[in-house]
Amino acid sequence: MYIALIVLGGLAGIGVLLFIYGVTIFNQLVTLRNRVDNAFAQIEVQLKRRHDLIPNLVEIAKGYMAHERDTLEAVIKARNAAVTGLQGAAGDPGDAQAMTAMMGAEKGLSGALGRLFALAEAYPDLKANQNMIQLTEELTSTENKISFARQGYNDSVTEYNTYKQTFPPVLVAGLTGHGQDRRHLEFDSAAIAEAPKVSFN
Amino acid sequence: MSTRFFEQQDSARGQTTRLILLFSLAVAAIVIALAAIGYGVGAASVESSARSLGGNSAADAGVRPWLFAFLFGAGALAVIGLGSLYQISQLRWGGGTRVAESVGGRQLAHHTSDPLERRLLNIVEEMAIASGTPVPPVYLMEEPGINAFAAGYLPGDAVVGVTRGAIENLSRDELQGVIAHEFSHIFNGDMRTNIRLIGILHGILLLSLIGHWLLRSMRYMHLGSNNKNNGGVIAALLMLGVVLLVLGSLGSFLGGLIKAAVSRQREYLADASAVQFTRNPTGISGALKRIGGAIFGGRLQHPNASMASHMYFAQGVFEGLSGLLATHPPLPKRILAIEPNWDGNYLAEAAESSLRAGASFSAAQPATGAARESRSARSSGADLAAAGLSGLAPTSRMRELDRQPRGGSAARAAAGVAPDRSAQYSVPEMMAAADQVGRRRRSIRTTPSGCWPNCPRA
Repeated sequence: MYIALIVLGGLAGIGVLLFIYGVTIFNQLVTLRNRVDNAFAQIEVQLKRRHDLIPNLVEIAKGYMAHERDTLEAVIKARNAAVTGLQGAAGDPGDAQAMTAMMGAEKGLSGALGRLFALAEAYPDLKANQNMIQLTEELTSTENKISFARQGYNDSVTEYNTYKQTFPPVLVAGLTGHGQDRRHLEFDSAAIAEAPKVSFN
Repeated sequence: MSTRFFEQQDSARGQTTRLILLFSLAVAAIVIALAAIGYGVGAASVESSARSLGGNSAADAGVRPWLFAFLFGAGALAVIGLGSLYQISQLRWGGGTRVAESVGGRQLAHHTSDPLERRLLNIVEEMAIASGTPVPPVYLMEEPGINAFAAGYLPGDAVVGVTRGAIENLSRDELQGVIAHEFSHIFNGDMRTNIRLIGILHGILLLSLIGHWLLRSMRYMHLGSNNKNNGGVIAALLMLGVVLLVLGSLGSFLGGLIKAAVSRQREYLADASAVQFTRNPTGISGALKRIGGAIFGGRLQHPNASMASHMYFAQGVFEGLSGLLATHPPLPKRILAIEPNWDGNYLAEAAESSLRAGASFSAAQPATGAARESRSARSSGADLAAAGLSGLAPTSRMRELDRQPRGGSAARAAAGVAPDRSAQYSVPEMMAAADQVGRRRRSIRTTPSGCWPNCPRA
């Protein structure tokens, strides 16, 4: 009789301890996930700023490079695609598909912008324009902020993924809706791989 | 990308810990030495009272020396402690804002439209994101030297100050490296460490002041007293005065050496952290090379500049030849720590600034590592080669040249604007510097110099 009680009590005690342990893990998971979301929000702010700057840029460039209509339109198109992509991803940062779409759109935008700037090199008047100089600086800074914020985001993603994949958190993660890994952001890897084209003819 | 910068950070942190330990040991040695003196004084007083009363009347004979030892030790500790608390509170007061204003800084408004100021504020925001610290207020000092500082006790009251010379002569990447370096000081709490060390040094110095004062007053006391019985005590007090003076002076001198060594380690740490934050070693090393090649170097002219010497990016005030008291490691050592393959050439003044003359758009691209580097090659390569020469010329003359239609490096070199400083820089040296700029920007070798920006494009 007593023995049974002691065993029962012991089991209940272990159960309570395990539960408390599980709760701690769960809380840690939530903390880390919120940190990832916050880091994403930081990027989102900068991406929005980038998207806001681009129409101004195109507007100024239009006055000088009327012949490059196609390039300018491509930039605007890429920009609108990126805006849509960002909205989709911001709605649910956990959705890997939306994230991929967003990264693709940002990649497209970077490419279009790169072409625009490459063309702009041939328009000295445009480059001397004060508004253009200012906008360029703002855009440069925004790009830098995006990449630094991305560093922070990727760090937080790594921390979250590592924690939830390790044992024992992996047991809790599956049960409490932390099953899916977060994705790292890599949207300008294409821009890095792409060598600058210089030709002389 | 190597992760050597993490190893360098660890090494600098380890060195700091060892030095701080040494510093604590020095303070402890001073306190113990004084306690020993106290013991001697106590023993002497027991002896003298025993002699005067003729017999072993001193009931506390065994305890009194220890009591004196305790009193002297505690006294020394109290003097050092209170002296440092006072000094720390003095230095803390007003936070970084007061320091920045006392060296002639002017706070930049967030909505400034001046392109150089705008760029500086943007870079500060970028580094705040990269280091994960709050955005500090930014101060501009109207000084021609290339320098910057971080001031304040805690990250919350920190400010960043930059000289006019820095924002005008450094490229965007280089300025970013400098600001990242300052953010490392904020992030690692270096200003706090420094203020504490200065405070404790002040406390030790106070000991020597007390010794000095004791010796001075002893002179009068000695004349007035003919009492033989006090002879022993007076001798002990005299000795105490001398010991205080010597220990205090020696302690503050050695402590000063340790403080300078700590400061130098923190500079290495900040350089390595700057590479970590920006992931671009050429930025910070380029800035250091430019300081080495600049007419004004990192010198500051404001009369209060020495007040904040430990916080600057580069050595801002003269601090003795020996190097032992220098708050910053020598430039070549810092550059070699970042760029082990450095060829020993500095960069001449005035980076090609996209904001000053003929904008270069190259920077407005996703700015990461290789891409950024090679892109800037395309636009400013030929010009930078020229900058290697042109920076040596009087600035007004250069501006004039900048305003003319670009004829490329040949025209500029031919303009013969360099000889003013030829005593310091021979032509081959300048060519080597220019070549070095070129080497990092690979495409320059294939660019027909002189066509930019009207090079035919595909």
